[in-house]
Amino acid sequence: MEHSSLPSSQPTVIEKVIAFVDERVGLKQMQAKMLNEPVPGGSRWAYVFGSVLLFIFIMQAVTGILLMFYYVPTADHAYASTQYIIHDVDYGWFLLSYHFWGSTAMVVCVFAHMSQVFLWGAYKPPREMIWLVGLALFGIVMGFGFTGYLLPWDQRAYWATTVGVEIMDKTPLVGDFMARFLKGGPTPGQMTLSRFFVIHVMILPAALMGLAGLHLFLFRAAGPAGPFRGTPEEIKAKTDFFFPRQVWKDIVGMAVVFASIVAMAFWEPVVLLEEATPDPGDYHPEPEWYFLFLFQLLRLKIFAGEFGQFLGAIALPGAFMALLAALPFIDRDPERNIFKRPVALIGWIVVMVAILLFTVSAIINREFLD
Amino acid sequence: MSDERDVSPTKIGLGVLWSAFWTGLPIKLAFVLVFFAMDLMHFENRLGLGFLMLLASPVTVFAVPIITMGLESHIGEGAGIALLFLLSIPIDIWALGLVGRTYFLEKFRKEPPEGLGVTLWWKSAVVGAVFLPLVWFIVGTVTSTAISMAHSLMELELLKGVPVAERIAVELSLWGSVSTVVLIVLLLIGVSLVGRIIRSTAATARPISDSYQNIVKRWDLMRVPADQGLVLTSITLGGVVLAVLFWAALPVTTPHPHECCKKPDAKAEPIFKPVETLNKDEKMIAQLAMQIDALEKQKAEAEKDKGKGKKAGSEAVAPAPKKKP
Repeated sequence: MEHSSLPSSQPTVIEKVIAFVDERVGLKQMQAKMLNEPVPGGSRWAYVFGSVLLFIFIMQAVTGILLMFYYVPTADHAYASTQYIIHDVDYGWFLLSYHFWGSTAMVVCVFAHMSQVFLWGAYKPPREMIWLVGLALFGIVMGFGFTGYLLPWDQRAYWATTVGVEIMDKTPLVGDFMARFLKGGPTPGQMTLSRFFVIHVMILPAALMGLAGLHLFLFRAAGPAGPFRGTPEEIKAKTDFFFPRQVWKDIVGMAVVFASIVAMAFWEPVVLLEEATPDPGDYHPEPEWYFLFLFQLLRLKIFAGEFGQFLGAIALPGAFMALLAALPFIDRDPERNIFKRPVALIGWIVVMVAILLFTVSAIINREFLD
Repeated sequence: MSDERDVSPTKIGLGVLWSAFWTGLPIKLAFVLVFFAMDLMHFENRLGLGFLMLLASPVTVFAVPIITMGLESHIGEGAGIALLFLLSIPIDIWALGLVGRTYFLEKFRKEPPEGLGVTLWWKSAVVGAVFLPLVWFIVGTVTSTAISMAHSLMELELLKGVPVAERIAVELSLWGSVSTVVLIVLLLIGVSLVGRIIRSTAATARPISDSYQNIVKRWDLMRVPADQGLVLTSITLGGVVLAVLFWAALPVTTPHPHECCKKPDAKAEPIFKPVETLNKDEKMIAQLAMQIDALEKQKAEAEKDKGKGKKAGSEAVAPAPKKKP
């Protein structure tokens, strides 16, 4: 009798569908696991970079697929099809410019994410594997930038790739093979474009998806590191679930990055140079801005000659990456507060200042060349 | 419990201004995009700086017009810049109020006074109006002096043989470090001034004697709106309106055409109206036919006259006898 007075107890169609899926895959348990993860010390803006990077990657995939509807990856048509995207396809200029600035945003966010993990001491045990997989992801993001740069097939693309492959050629043992494999001939041509295209749209996205999944899995297994400062009482008082505060912060972070990329697409939309030719003419080859510091470093006299070029292009960056990979195993001190780790803090500042100094130097150097 | 007098004013200023900047940024950015799409804003030089000054509007709202007019530094053009500054005022008041209240509770453990957002906004704006043009002038002068000094240093006979790349790096390090240090010191002084204002406001506020857990709960709940449904609906509607405006104003083709792909200046073809065109053509054909008739008549008459003239001429002049070869 009492049941008859409760007509709303009947589940709706949506609830039935959810119950059906839940029964089979454990949807509610999965949701609870994902959203109810405790964040030690509460939500923070500093934690948004991982989610923002995932968002940028999804947007890059979406814009990249849309661009592929029009782009023709052949040496004869790559330039013309890119110009067609910019000038004839509705909103094509915006799509391409978004994709271009999205790649820059990805590099910036990777730098910010790595810096945050480093400064927070979040690479220390038990999070060494997360750090190592993160380094591999950093390499993949750089690879995306390098391979994507050739695709418009203008002078800038052609010569940046030529310089990049020449640098790669200096790697001992595998350098010659890698350079020949990427170029597919004595000079960049159809084979180079095909190989770069396949790496850019198939190999790297697959690798990134796999490693990003592994990165997330390892992160969930080890749990967030939390703040490096504060008394246990303060951290306990502020500890919160991942949903809703951190989710909200992540969404705001994504919105800010999205808006910044769109603003850059308006400010500096992609404008191609002349079509690629083996003659640079008046154009002074240079790589994408995030490789500029390395390019300028190689102009120093100390890095002149065959050995100097190897030292500057391969040995130094290689040693730096090796040091980063070994960092969790070298730095065994459990102290995470960056203000109590002077070597780490000074090291980070020196690296950042050096990158900034040589990047700006490369920009000033253009005036001397022009 | 920490007293506001124990905390350094630089730390207070940085804590409030930094958080307020990020709190207002997403809303301002949405307007920036719409103004860009509507072609209402252009930055000519010092792009990044101009953009940052625009978004850091709690302290730059009066300072930027002073710098633009007084120091003749042009950051850009367009009604969008002024409009964005106007729109930023309520956004900044809200952001400073929210951050200020949180800061008072969490760091000072004091009851935030009424109208904290407005108080902090106008005081920061006044400090910015006086201090930022001064910073602009000093840093500009120091930088240009440092550049010329670094340049003349590298021109010394002793250093003339230094290669270009090394020379650029050394010059940049010299003048860059000088201007960076001056800029950082001046900015810290400015932030500390704002911090002193916040500290003086806190001095008159009433202290709270509650557990830390309860204070955290209180400032956390301050960020949760009373009517969540209403706020969510308003944000969604606002977002939809801005998105529609953005896509409606976004240029379909690139506003930056390349040399290779300039389109010919196409003239708009007149609208084709079949009946009118037929009538017009018929009239024209009839007119042309009449003209042809008139011309043919004229020609026939002229030939007739010519024929008559020839006949008369041949009768008057006898033909010459033919010579035998």
